[in-house]
Amino acid sequence: MVEMYTYIWLFVSYYVRPIYKWFLRKTTGLCELQRICYGAVSGAPRVRAVEKSLGASRSPQIAQLIAHLNNVSDNHRFVGQNGREIVSGAVSTVLLVKRINPRVHFQFVKSFGHCIQQIWGYRQLLADVESLRTTTYDPDNVEHERKLMLLWEALRPDEMLASRITKQWQDIGFQGDDPKTDFRGMGLLGLENLLFFASEYGNGPASHVLSHSLHPVHGYAFAIVGINLTSMAWQLLRDGHAKTYVYNTCKAVPSVRVFHQFYCYLFYEFDRHWLACRPKSMMEFSDIKTKFESNVKASLQDPNNVFSIRLADTV
Amino acid sequence: MGLLSILRKLRSAPEKELRLLLLGLDNAGKTTILKTLASEDVTHITPTAGFNIKSVVSEGFKLNVWDIGGQRKIRPYWKNYFENTDILVYVVDAADKRRLEETGIELYELLGDEKLKEVPLLVYANKQDLPESLSASDLAQTLGLPSIKDRPWQIQACTASQASGVREGMEWACNTIKKK
Repeated sequence: MVEMYTYIWLFVSYYVRPIYKWFLRKTTGLCELQRICYGAVSGAPRVRAVEKSLGASRSPQIAQLIAHLNNVSDNHRFVGQNGREIVSGAVSTVLLVKRINPRVHFQFVKSFGHCIQQIWGYRQLLADVESLRTTTYDPDNVEHERKLMLLWEALRPDEMLASRITKQWQDIGFQGDDPKTDFRGMGLLGLENLLFFASEYGNGPASHVLSHSLHPVHGYAFAIVGINLTSMAWQLLRDGHAKTYVYNTCKAVPSVRVFHQFYCYLFYEFDRHWLACRPKSMMEFSDIKTKFESNVKASLQDPNNVFSIRLADTV
Repeated sequence: MGLLSILRKLRSAPEKELRLLLLGLDNAGKTTILKTLASEDVTHITPTAGFNIKSVVSEGFKLNVWDIGGQRKIRPYWKNYFENTDILVYVVDAADKRRLEETGIELYELLGDEKLKEVPLLVYANKQDLPESLSASDLAQTLGLPSIKDRPWQIQACTASQASGVREGMEWACNTIKKK
């Protein structure tokens, strides 16, 4: 039965879709990409539709273009001047292939170029994040150690660390007296995320969240939960759920900063969710996290969702 | 073959369920062992906040493995998971010499608990790939395992991140239960 449906679906997408597209092209005088760029709401709905359309294209030139853009973004070369040239090159290719007059359709050129930036910027972001994650925290690396110290200063501005290895680390939710072993599979990414949250949102959300985590009954280990949320953010980025967030919040090529902001959003929302669950102890973490993750996925399913930390609700 | 006889056959060979409890200090490698047992990817593990549980089939047993976080703050909750434990699996980071004493104290506290009385003990001497790690026999001596007389025990060298030695430990655990 399932096979039959798959067969019908393949048939429709292979034979019926081109006829449908041809019909629309003849009646509207626009190709599918143009119809999307003019018709779909900007942000995630438009970018995702363009992504799908490009992926389904049977033109060998488009396939070649996609392979090229994939290569560029996987190797972190989609930046600065090079990035701008690549976007205009990609737009020109599509204009040629689809025989679009850029002087008539200057609006398409602009909007399609933006979609290219977003789609391959996301892919590049994934590669950037992955290289941070696979960098193991190294206590012999001065830069890593400096960031760890900055984290302490941002979270505990009024307290000095007695030494590098001290029980004080547990006050911000590390497991033992040396945080280096807690980053594990999230590597430097776990530290960068925590540091971003603590320094960029230090006066508001992060200090609220830290103070909640210290609650004697409903508290939790701030840093450890933070590292687990890095894992969640990374998985959402990898499986594409985070596209809604990135496409709706980014005006230019998304950078690692956007990922950090996504993480901060998750951390802040997780804290609210945790408190609302009124857990009796840290042992309820797995269940609460699973529930939270499915809520997040549900809200990321809505392409029109705009995500922001709702400071007004801060207690 | 009638339906009845099939049913009878199914009932005569049930998969015995075992409850395994994985304990040890933080960063010992409990979650890595759990994931290795379940043949899952071990490259993106995070510290366990709370606990993880997985069921795996091994040696004709269904193993329900409970992996409880090892940080000091949640050790007081360990005892909530003692009930009906068939095998106690204690994981030690054999390269963390600084905390050998602490890990020994926690272990003997477990062994002294009424609910874990006579429960067979499997100790994993994990992280054998690190140059400074103690061998299984040295670790057994350091922890004073040979003086344990009230239950079967075993020490198993392993490198959980490379999946080496983990299965061997489980084989011992299952055989010990079979003999009972």
